[in-house]
Amino acid sequence: MTERDVKTTAPHEAAQLRVLLFSVLREKVGRGTLDLALPAPATGAALLDQLARDYPALAPYRPIVRLAVNQEYTDESVRLEAGDEVALITPVSGG
Amino acid sequence: MEDIWIELTKEALDVGAAAAFLATPGAGGLSLFVGTTRRWTGEQETEELAYDAYAPMAEQEMRRLVAQAQGRWPVLKACVLHRLGVVPVAEASVVVGVATPHRAEAFDACRFLIDALKQQVPIWKREHYADGSTAWVQGSAPPALQEEIPSPEADE
Repeated sequence: MTERDVKTTAPHEAAQLRVLLFSVLREKVGRGTLDLALPAPATGAALLDQLARDYPALAPYRPIVRLAVNQEYTDESVRLEAGDEVALITPVSGG
Repeated sequence: MEDIWIELTKEALDVGAAAAFLATPGAGGLSLFVGTTRRWTGEQETEELAYDAYAPMAEQEMRRLVAQAQGRWPVLKACVLHRLGVVPVAEASVVVGVATPHRAEAFDACRFLIDALKQQVPIWKREHYADGSTAWVQGSAPPALQEEIPSPEADE
């Protein structure tokens, strides 16, 4: 059993997650943080699908959002754990 | 003394302080890129820009990009400074600098850092136009995953 398995949310439980929004997404939704319970299996793709359903303003951005989990860019196939800090990153424009 | 200066700040950026920080006896040159707020983009007139950031991750990504640059070029010192909040026209929004033994690697490393910053670091700009409208600027593509970025130091 790996260390990651130990803290994995039990299969039947919903993972409680905090999602951070910035720039255009924060403006469209009207807030910078969303708290939600994601049913198992809690993956990045499932999270993005649920957010697009719950917040239709986010749906058009679904194809261009990069997920960051605990401040690292990750693929949508990532397994999310309760307490993870998830951020939706649209194409950046710093500089 | 710390060889890397990473900072997000709401204050005006001090290019002189960046140059002073980069000065080191081992360097044969330092290269600084200063990004400033441009008034005209095509027909549209900008009055100011406002920057938003996922600050803790932005700082971490900046540090990671400097580490990548250090893996590729002999970077003795580096700074990556980005202003947040409102930046009026003609003022600096970003200062990227490196000190290296020779000039060619200074140009290359500095160019890499600003190009990678604009692609990877979670910071966004919002244009405030002279006609009163505003718009978030969106980059051309989502940030790359870690494994998609060529990282020379990963082989070590």
